Amino acid sequence: MSKRNDITTPEGYFENLQQRLSEIPARPVRVSPVHRLAPYAAIAASFLVAVLLGNAVLRRTAPVSDEDDTWTYVSYLADALDPDGAVMMDFYDYYGEEEEQQGLSAEDIVNYLLADGISVEHLNYLSYEEGY
Amino acid sequence: MDNAERLFNEIVKEYSERVYWHVRRFVNNHEDADDLVQEIFLKIWTALPSFRGEAQLFTWVYRIATNETLNWLRREKVRSALRFTSIDAEMERRIDSDPFFDGDAADRALSKAVAKLPEKQRQVFILRYYDEMPYEQMSEVLETSVGALKASYHIAQEKVRSALGKDIFIGSD
Repeated sequence: MSKRNDITTPEGYFENLQQRLSEIPARPVRVSPVHRLAPYAAIAASFLVAVLLGNAVLRRTAPVSDEDDTWTYVSYLADALDPDGAVMMDFYDYYGEEEEQQGLSAEDIVNYLLADGISVEHLNYLSYEEGY
Repeated sequence: MDNAERLFNEIVKEYSERVYWHVRRFVNNHEDADDLVQEIFLKIWTALPSFRGEAQLFTWVYRIATNETLNWLRREKVRSALRFTSIDAEMERRIDSDPFFDGDAADRALSKAVAKLPEKQRQVFILRYYDEMPYEQMSEVLETSVGALKASYHIAQEKVRSALGKDIFIGSD
């Protein structure tokens, strides 16, 4: 099996090739748009990387988490908008204590037990035991 | 004519034919080999000011040729994928349709088997088997140890042998 004889070239190819290659230094240097934009793209990419890295470092080293930041911001807004705390107190009253008051009372429990068939004597006995 | 131009013309005179045959073994087609040789020499011309003479001129030229050929092969792999064909099938098609292929069926089978080798093994096989380059020189061109090159060549040989059938002699280490 031959090594080089299995592939050939057109007649006189290498003389022609050498001629063409020796003209390369005389050719004007062409710069493709990609190569022209490459330095600007590199600068933009470096800037982006710096911003992302800086952001990542700050996020890691900052003393408060995002949640705390949000809560601090909400508190700040609340203080600024409602310095006396009147609205916030209403808020707590409405969603907090009011709701507590809407829970089960001792009377509700007694009524439920009576409806469930427990005798008044038994109930009085339980009240005595519990100290009511 | 300045010194750089004179040196470039010497490189053209001395190495253009060798570079062509080297490239042709990779691309398996005369037209593409011709285009790629021009790209390689354009690269050599633009890189010539950075040639410090630390490496031998021959090693430096071959290193550029090998890198540019690998870049071409990678681009061709992408082009093949975009055409929904494999690079192996594309190389086989090139070997079969090359009007300047003058070998027999065994030569054709060998070219196809070499084209199917992984990148590194193909480099080593072509440099050693077709270009008959000594391992020490290959080591400088590919920046790989002689031991690793010998191992690569041995594996490549085994793969080519098994693709062709054991009875065909393709040289030894």
